Amino acid sequence: MTALDRRKGLILFGLILVMVAIISLAAYRMTGPMGIEERYNQAVGLPSAEEEPGGGWFGFSLEGNPLLYGVILVVLGGTCVIAYLWWRREESR
Amino acid sequence: MAHIHLPDGSFTLFWVLVWWIFTLVLIGAALVWARMRRAGAREITVAAFVTAASFAVFQVQVPLFGGVHMNLTPLIGILAGPVLGSFIVFIVNILSAAIGHGGWGLIGANVLVNFSEVTTGYLTFRALKRVTPSLFSRAGIATFGGLFVGNIAMIAIILVSGIQGVTQTPVQILTGLSLLAAVNMGVAVVEAFVTGFIVEYIGKVKPDLLGGGRP
Repeated sequence: MTALDRRKGLILFGLILVMVAIISLAAYRMTGPMGIEERYNQAVGLPSAEEEPGGGWFGFSLEGNPLLYGVILVVLGGTCVIAYLWWRREESR
Repeated sequence: MAHIHLPDGSFTLFWVLVWWIFTLVLIGAALVWARMRRAGAREITVAAFVTAASFAVFQVQVPLFGGVHMNLTPLIGILAGPVLGSFIVFIVNILSAAIGHGGWGLIGANVLVNFSEVTTGYLTFRALKRVTPSLFSRAGIATFGGLFVGNIAMIAIILVSGIQGVTQTPVQILTGLSLLAAVNMGVAVVEAFVTGFIVEYIGKVKPDLLGGGRP
């Protein structure tokens, strides 16, 4: 494997990226700006449901209940710590 | 990301049960496989971290094309493989429904969609090893491949199931969903970069993790 092979991969990645970006932008221009649920409902012919505006940071927003999201993340984080400690103990044996 | 973002009641009970049964069979087969292969502490720890990351990212709506979200399914495939990956997408979909993101009745269908992304991401990443040594490119292309296949699976499942209470013909639904999938693929650009950088970084600091993800 040479630098040429490495560049080949990057060129292929770049080509796919440009193609996908063009198709996505064209589709977006055809459908117009709308939220994810509205887009799905319109695609299958369901009546459009008003999407809750919700807060968000710089346009990023959470789907679902934020409190439950936090609780589940803490539980998952704790599970990761336990799994990591277990892995370290197994490795040191 | 491909995720059937429709409310409960969109599919008939028959199709809800059909996709749930397919998913339970898949999870059952994965359990048998995992028991036979005996996943070690390292694989399970990686799976735990990827589950947490996928869940955390999946709930965040990205302000791109009016609102899309990532789910890191190709990354799950690359790091955990399709067997542990099937458990991960099952858990993430259940937890997502639990917080009100996605319907309970659609978990079966969504797990199948996500599983197609995990498997395609895994297979593409491995297959590209012969083409290029660049981990970033392999992971990025695997992400595009996985998400493309996921969108096809999403369209196929909706077309086969049909939507209750709509007057659209299958051709109209196909047209609408094709446009939606094309917009959805826009987030693949972001996800390809994220996955590419993560995999490239892991390749530098802990390359043995990329050798994991046994089928």
